[in-house]
Order: sequence, then C-alpha cells, then structure tokens
Amino acid sequence: MSIGRVRVFVVALTASLVVFSGTYAQDELATARTAYLEGRYDDAIDGLTRLARRQPAASDVGRALVRALAEVGRYDEANNAAERFIAANPDSPELWTSFGRVLLLQGARAKARDAFARAVAGRASDALTGKLELGLLLYHSGDVAAAMRTFDSFIDTYNQSRSLSSGDLTAVATAVRYLGIANSDLFHDALRTYDEAIAADPDNVEARLLVGNLFLDKYNGSDAREAYDAILERNGDHPDALLGLARVRRFGGSPEAMTLVNRSLETNPNSTQARVFRATLLVELEDFDRATQDIDHALGIDPTDLDALAVRAAVQFLRNERPAFDRTTTHVLELNPRFGGLFVTLAEVSARNRLYQEAVGFGTRAVQVDSLSWRGYAVLGTNQLRVGNMGAGRANLEIAFQGDPFDAWTKNTLDLLDELDRFTTVPTERFHIVSDRNESDALSLYMTELAEEAYARLANRYGFRPHTPIRVEAFTRHADFSVRTIGLVGLGALGVSFGPVVAMDSPSARDIGSFNWGSTLWHELAHTFHLGLSEHRVPRWLSEGLAVFEERQARDGWGDALDPGFLLAFRDGRLLPVSELNNGFVRPTFPEQLGYSYYQASLVCEFIERDHGFTAFPRMLRAYRDGKSARQVFRDVLSTDLDEFDEAFEDYLRARFERTLAVLKPVETPGHGGEHSRDAILARARQDPDDFLALVAAGQLLIEEQRFDEAEPVLVRAKSLFPEYAGVSSPYWYLARLFRERGELDRAARELDDLTARNASHYRALLALATIRDTLGATADAADALERSIYVYPFDADVHRRLAELSAELGTWSRAVRERRAVLALDPVDRAEAQYQLARAYMGAGDRENARHTVLRALEIAPGFEAAQDLLLEIHDARSNR
Amino acid sequence: MTRHCMRAWLVALLSLGPASGEAQTYLLVVSGIGGEAQYRASFDEWSTTLLTAAQDRLKLPADHIVYLCEDPDVVAGSRKSTKANLDAAVMEIASRAEPDALVVIVFIGHGSAVGGSARINLPGPDVSAEDIAALLTRFPTQQLVVANLASASGDFLPVLSGSRRTIITATRSGRERYETVFASFFVRAFASDGADTDKNERVSVLEAFEFARREVNRHYDTGNRLVTEHALLDDNGDSKGSTEPDPRTGDGAIAASLFLDNPLAAAVATLPDDPELRALYQARQRLEQAIATLRARKDELAPDIYESELERLALELARTSRTIRERETRNPE
Repeated sequence: MSIGRVRVFVVALTASLVVFSGTYAQDELATARTAYLEGRYDDAIDGLTRLARRQPAASDVGRALVRALAEVGRYDEANNAAERFIAANPDSPELWTSFGRVLLLQGARAKARDAFARAVAGRASDALTGKLELGLLLYHSGDVAAAMRTFDSFIDTYNQSRSLSSGDLTAVATAVRYLGIANSDLFHDALRTYDEAIAADPDNVEARLLVGNLFLDKYNGSDAREAYDAILERNGDHPDALLGLARVRRFGGSPEAMTLVNRSLETNPNSTQARVFRATLLVELEDFDRATQDIDHALGIDPTDLDALAVRAAVQFLRNERPAFDRTTTHVLELNPRFGGLFVTLAEVSARNRLYQEAVGFGTRAVQVDSLSWRGYAVLGTNQLRVGNMGAGRANLEIAFQGDPFDAWTKNTLDLLDELDRFTTVPTERFHIVSDRNESDALSLYMTELAEEAYARLANRYGFRPHTPIRVEAFTRHADFSVRTIGLVGLGALGVSFGPVVAMDSPSARDIGSFNWGSTLWHELAHTFHLGLSEHRVPRWLSEGLAVFEERQARDGWGDALDPGFLLAFRDGRLLPVSELNNGFVRPTFPEQLGYSYYQASLVCEFIERDHGFTAFPRMLRAYRDGKSARQVFRDVLSTDLDEFDEAFEDYLRARFERTLAVLKPVETPGHGGEHSRDAILARARQDPDDFLALVAAGQLLIEEQRFDEAEPVLVRAKSLFPEYAGVSSPYWYLARLFRERGELDRAARELDDLTARNASHYRALLALATIRDTLGATADAADALERSIYVYPFDADVHRRLAELSAELGTWSRAVRERRAVLALDPVDRAEAQYQLARAYMGAGDRENARHTVLRALEIAPGFEAAQDLLLEIHDARSNR
Repeated sequence: MTRHCMRAWLVALLSLGPASGEAQTYLLVVSGIGGEAQYRASFDEWSTTLLTAAQDRLKLPADHIVYLCEDPDVVAGSRKSTKANLDAAVMEIASRAEPDALVVIVFIGHGSAVGGSARINLPGPDVSAEDIAALLTRFPTQQLVVANLASASGDFLPVLSGSRRTIITATRSGRERYETVFASFFVRAFASDGADTDKNERVSVLEAFEFARREVNRHYDTGNRLVTEHALLDDNGDSKGSTEPDPRTGDGAIAASLFLDNPLAAAVATLPDDPELRALYQARQRLEQAIATLRARKDELAPDIYESELERLALELARTSRTIRERETRNPE
C-alpha cells in the first residue's frame, strides 16, 4: 500500500457562510450546501451556478461550485467556473487555490503551480492551502528536501497562530502527515490536527476523508472504514469515500472492492485515483485489457499521473512489452526522479504474480530511488525472504519497520523471524528442512525422505531441475505460516511455494487428520518445479491444477477428491469456464469456489493428459515461460481454441459425472418442506433407491441403531451409486464399521482399503486398517497402512512402535530403524527402552556400530537393564568373532 | 536415576535401621463424587486400574487394599466414600500397619478451593485438607504417600507436607479447577510397562509421578490445548512442591525409593547367603555405582574417554549380571 498522492480539497462553505449571510439569500446557499453534502450533486451545482451568475463576486460560491463540479469529474466546467470568477474579479486571489487544484487533476502542473503562487501572494483566505499545494508539487516532482522545508513551516504556523480555520487546520495536518514520512511520531500529530479541523467544522468532509486515508495508509482498516462510513452516511455517493472503502475492502481481501470502486466511478467517472485503483484490481485478475482501458482514461485526464503510469508500466511488464515498459519507466522518472512508488507497484505486482526474484529487483530500485520509501524496504525484505535470502530480507524489514512502525505486516514478519531463529535446520542433498526444534527430530525423518523422493520423481517427469537447496519451512502454528505467506494471520491455505522456498503448516498446526502433510509437501514442491520451468509465468489455475494432479500421481488417495458439492455446482452452472478459472483462485465469489477451482483445475489437467499425453504439460509451461498468452498456449500446444476447449471440457465433465449427477437429488431442509426425522430419512431411502444422499443418511442411522443387517444393503447400494465418494461420511467407512462389528474382518479391511485408496487423509481409517490387517496376519499390509498414516500425523509414538515391530517381523530393518528413531525423537518417558529397541533395530540392519553406541545410551540411563546388557554382550561377541 | 536410587537406599539404611521382614504396603483408594456420568465412569476406571495393578502386578494382599467409592455396588468389597467411612478406613489401617509400613492414600475425584478451603468432593460432607492432615497424625512412624489426583488439589500440599510424607497433587494450586487427566496417567504408570525408566522392573513413586507428568503434557500438546494442570510432588517436608522433582537438589529422593510392591524397608537389597553369589551381588552394586559416578562426570571427560570407560563398565556389569542369573538358575534359593 503506497501513500500515493494526497490531494487536499478544503471545503470552505461553512466559513464562507459568514461572508455570505449579509449578501446572499441564506436559504439558497444553505440549500445548495445541503444538497452537496448529501450528494445531490446536480441540485447543488444548479443552485450554485444560479447563485454564481447572480453574484459573480461571491468567492465562496465560486469555490463551492468549482469544488462540486470537480468532485463529479466535470473538470472543463470547473475550469470555466474558476476562469469566469477570475475574469470577473481580477484582483481577488480567492479562487486561485481551487483553480489550481482542478488544473492539477488534469495534469497541468505548471499552470497549477502558478495558480497556487497567486493565491499565496494575494493572501487569499485559503492561502495556507495554496502553500501546502506548492509543497506537494515539490514533493511529487522529486524535490523532497524543499517540500519538507515547506511542510516544516506549517508547524510554526500552527504553533504561532491563535486560531486557524478548519481548512487551514486541514492543510497543517496534511503537511505534518508528509513530515511523518521521516518521523513516524508526527502521524499522531497529523491525526490530532485533522480532528481539530473536524471539530472546527463538522461538515469538513475532506478532513474526514483524509483521516480515513491516513488510517488506511497506517494499516488500520477498521478506523478507516469508520471515517469513510461517517461520510457515506450523509452522502452515499461520495466518490472518494467510496474509493476509500474500496481500498479497505481490498486490504481485507474482500471481493466487494470492485463493486465499491465501480460505484465511485459512477459518481466521478474521471477520478484518476479510482481508475488507477480499479486498474490495479483488474491487473490482479489478469484482465490486462480492461486495466489498460482504465489507465488510458486516467492518463487522458492527467498525463502526469504517476500512479497511473506505474500501473501502465506494470501491465507492460507482465505482458513482456519491454520497449514500452522502458519508455514508461523513463518517463515516470523524468516527472519525478524520486518516485519510489513506481518500483513499489512493480514489486507488488510481480509478487502477486509470483515473480519473486523480479520483486526483489524492483524493491531494490525503489529504495535506491527513494531512501524514505519504507514500503519499498518492506516489499524488498519480504520478497528476499521468499527467495530464501533470509539475512538481507530481515535487515531490510528492520529498516522498513523503523521507518514505519505502523506496518503490521512487517512487524508480524519480524516477529516470525524471531521465532524462526529457534527452529532447527536439517540439510539434505537438495533441501533445507526447517522446523520447530521440538518436532524436528521426528518430522525431519519423514520430510527429508519425501522431499528427496519428490524432487527425483518430478525432475524425471519434467526434465527440469530447480536450483537447490530448496528451503522447506514447517510451522507449528498456522498463524505463523499465514504471516510467512502474506504478513497477516487468517490465511486458509495449508502451504505455499515461492519457488526456492516452501512454507507449510506442520502436522501439529491443525487437528489430527484434518490434512495430509505429505501430499501438501508434494503439492508445494510440484509448484516449485512448475514455477521454475515457466520462470514463474504459469497462470495460477494451471499451476494449482498440475500440483493436485501430481499429488495423485505420487500416492493413491492423495490430491483433492470428488465431493457432492462440486458436482452440484457443476450441475447448477456455477463452475467457471477454463478461460476464467483464475478468478476462482484470485477473487472467489462464493466460499466454496476456491476449493472447487482446485479440483476443477486438476480435472482440466486430467483431460489434457488424456487427449495430449503428459508431455503437453512441460510444453505448456515452456510456452508460458516464453511469454505466450493463454490463447496462444492452447493453440500452439493443444491445437485448440480456448473457447472450444471450454466446450470440450464441459462435455468431458458431463460424460464423466452424468451417472453420479443423476443420483444427487435435492435435499430439502427443515422448514422448507424437508423432514429430518428418523422415519422420514428411512422412508426417503426406501422410496428412491437411486438417491445417494438419502441412502447414506439412512445407512448411517441404521448403523447407529446397530441394525447392521438392514444397513448393509443400503450402504452397498449407496457405494455403487457414487464409488468415488470417500469423504467423512462415506459408505466405505460405515460398511467397514458394520463388518467389523460382525467380526467379518476381511470384508472390513477391503472397505478400508477402498476408502483409503481414495482418501489417504482418513487417519482413523488407516489406523483401523492397520489393526485389522495385523489381526488377520497380513503384516505387510498392516505396515503399509501405518506408513501411510504417518503422512497424516507423524507424532504418535504408538504408531511408530507398531510399525517398527511389523518392520522387524518383515525384516525391513531400515524402516524399523527409522521408526525406532522416531519413537526416540518423540521423547518417550522410558528412554532406556526406546534406546534399547533402536539398538536392536540397528543390529537387525547389520549396523553394529550404531547398535553399540545406542545400547550404551540405554545402559547409561538404566545400567541394570538386563535386556540391554545382554544386547551389549551380543554385540561385543559378534565383534570378537569377526 | 541410579544415583538417586542409591542415595535413597542409603537414606533408608540410615533412617530405618535393620530391615523388618514384616513391613508391608497398605493402599487406600478414595474415589469421590462424579456428578456427571462421564466423570463417574472415569473415576471408576482409574480407581479399578490402580486396584487391579495393586493386586495383579504389585501383589499387594487383598486385605491390605481398601476402596471407597461413590457407588459401592459396582465393586465388591468396597464402601461408600463418605467422610465417616474415610475416617473409619484410616483408623483401621492405622491399627494394623506396622511401624515401618508404607501407607498409600490416593484420592480421585473433583476438588475445589472455595473460600480458601481446599476440599475433595465426597458423597455427603466434603473432606478438607485439614481433615486429612488430622487423619494422617494416626501414622506417627509409618512412611506415607498421599496422592490427591483431583482438580484444584494443589492447596493440599502445604497442609499435608511433613516428615516421612510424600505428597502428590494433580494441580499446583486451587485455581487450576478444570478436570484433570493426571490421575489417568498416574494409575497407568503402575498398570503398564512404560514408567520403569531405570529398568529395575519396579515403578517407584517418583517414576510414576514423572510418567504421569510427561504424559499429561503430551496429552495437551497433541490436542493443541493449553496445559491447565501442573502436578506437584513434595517429599522433603518443606511444604513446597516441585513440578520437575530432582533428587539431587530437592524433592524426589524419597519418592525414588518408594515402591508400592515393597515398602522402603525392603528397598534395602538383601544379599544372598552363598558367598560366591554374595560377592557377585556386591560387584554388581559397585559397578552400578561406578557407572553412576562416571555419568556424573560426563561433562568433565573427553567424549571418547567417557564412551570407552562406559562401555568397559557396562560390559563388566553385563557379564556379572549374566553370571548371577546363571548361578541363580542353577541353584535357586
């Protein structure tokens, strides 16, 4: 969030009332003023125009008219109104400030400067505001030192004046706010002075607006919202308050941001700030054409608008239009050589598009151009952390925080880095596994193995090897993971890949069984490959789809599974076409859309693989790397038009899920014709043997009542209707329970096999399967189930003990060793026993040296431990007999 | 562990004089009022786990075990856990217990600390810490273990602390008033194998406390919950309990030498009459002591020297233990 330009529009209507009262019909002015304050702009403008015609010398009418016209974007008319007054009153300096501001909105800097100078020289009643505007001109043209000197003088003005008008107080507050860039304490002074301005004139809308903007710039969304709401309560169409609220919504990640900025533009279609903001949202949605339209419109009004030029440069950068990009950046720096905001915008846009290395480059330039760009230091530091440059990242974040202690993102990240100092790093051939020191010994045993396996397999599949080491961080607190990713808590994801750095929740960060850390790690490492191969230009939908697709290739039951909600969304036409699938990730319009988009994207990948083979994917990734658009990629690699592909994919979904869709009948809710009584549920299942949901509900009910014989055919039928469904209340799970109750362990095991083959995150099913298989003497299958359960939750010592025992039985000693090491890593109370068992496993694996060392650890704790004593003798005898 | 076991062994020798062949353990388990069905079930389960372990694993004679509970119909031979019955049970044990007996009293249930008075909720009038302190005066010479495993039990400790008393509470103060899980793990220590950390095939009171304490922490950690109970142990009579007793520096030395299967008096190792076997036993004791001494010096020694010396001693100890077993197998006494 950059400070951007702050334009001060002082409403002097109240002050002018005193001048007016003796000269004009107070009612007319009051009526026009009320209309303006209530957002009835046409009425206000008409009234003020009539008044101005009758009284061409009334400066406050003139100012009010110019202000009202400007507020709704009628800049030419505002120019004319100002020029008429000036022509009619050549000796009056009173309209020069207002005129200057309108000229500035249109990019006429030199003329604006002249106008402000005239206001100051002529000692207009709003001369202080004119002086402020001169200071702002200096600041935004890069002469920061001169600007700060100007702003500094406002402090003396404030301190030496007995009473200042509301408008003057607003000017002082704004000057102090700019001084706050170098001294953050002054922001509090600025806020106090704005409050004084509002107290002096409660109808000073601009002061309220600037308070909101100040809060927003200091990351305080809730107070900002309050300030904007106060304006909108009276004037629901105030364009700048709507824009402010749009910014608050964007700050909070809400999709309402677009709606609000559209409303703002309805009031003032020529607001360059609103155009630039909307363009920024459109860039996030990758709608570059519409973003460009908004930017062109903004620059048509003010060709010198630096923020608009920055967004233009961003679009040119993302579209790989290098010459145009260079021209734009050169032009911006000519207008203001110290405009760090250009590179901050470029860095932020790059980061949003996962071009983290480029974000580092732009962040570096931002702070080179403007050493007071705290936001520049923040984006630089944040992105350095994302590419694994931890030291430099931290240093730059420290600078950012020192300069702007209000930046919650930066503060949170610095606090997180303090936490990371207490983490342990376990290096492997290609990875650094970074995790909490209390978990590292256990977790790294499995994470290192899986990460190396993933790298080897994905490198083989894609013919590409990302730079190493890749840093993998696992956080025990989800809030820490969230801060690592976006700087704030509240992120819903499980993991993220920045390319060379992967961050994810540790299995201990969430309830046991709520996610599969193994598949999450594989998913994120797949991203590392896809980002690397496409040089971070792969679109979001494809990278997510491929990552889920790769999960499924890695292990049975990994990757998102089909669920009834997705099918119902498809049936109801709520899925996005592939050409718009990115929107499902970036701006979901309903809560489930993000999850459905992941699954849908993975199905798109399955569809592509079916028709074009796996090799299409590396080719697509390279095509994106080379700067091709989605349409070009589909045409060149898949020989299809994007619209045709949409149709073909929809046909594919229909064919694939037609049968299942037919068995998902509508469910009436209580109070809407639906009955959820026990009898009603059973009756519904009896009436329609093709109603999957009814059958599952009935089966569940019968199981709970222990009516297993009745439940079996119901659940078998349900399973046959929707065999892919392996969610929480799947028929597989209930049938397994049923068979187990009846002692039919073989059948129970088969149900659990089928369930976990589709859903490898079902922790209870995996443990139950292991127990049953063990009971049946199927040792290898039992071990396999336990092994898979570790990818859900690796911190249950009993699971590791059992798997160690089974592995020893099977003679897979390396796994037995690993499992005994895991038991030890989980800090058992009986450490001597754990050491002894590990020593036994080492012996089984033929590793006498480690066995000797480990059994000594057991005897160190418990010298009288006879079993350990005997093992030591055994080892010694074996060494002697060599 | 070995070092503090040895110290306790010395303490036992010095404080009790010649071992009495008649010293025994007496166990009184008091299960309070549950209130809700889930708590009644838990209290019953924990109590019966301890009682079963006491009989089956620890081989306590049945007539040395007294069980008071909310519903005596559930367990044959039990009585209702009223204050009056508690008083009677204590009197009964006091009248029978040998001067050097070990008396173990375990309270399971809900506690409270309302108005500064720490209590255990029983059917009928509750029993306070002061009430229990008065009951304990009936054991002037015996070794006592009093384990209050209820919620809000911490305030019992300073009231009950004293000479020849090991006091355990499930919480560190009366403010920790939510239901506790310490009891479930404490009883499990005696009922299963995981608590015998020094592998001497016996679970001391300290080992049981440590086991329960660590499993409580693991329980909350696994569930991603705040730890709302912190157990205490005091056995040095200073009225201050320790959350992590260290026999070398404070609490734990006595508790480390207390075993429910054998009271302190019998913790003194009895040497066999056979002179050769006797020599082997003494050698074994010397070697165990040598390892304990070596361990204490670990930080002073170079790692390779420490390791080789540990291995040498451990090998010799292993051979000695094996020889003892072989001899005992050939000539069982």
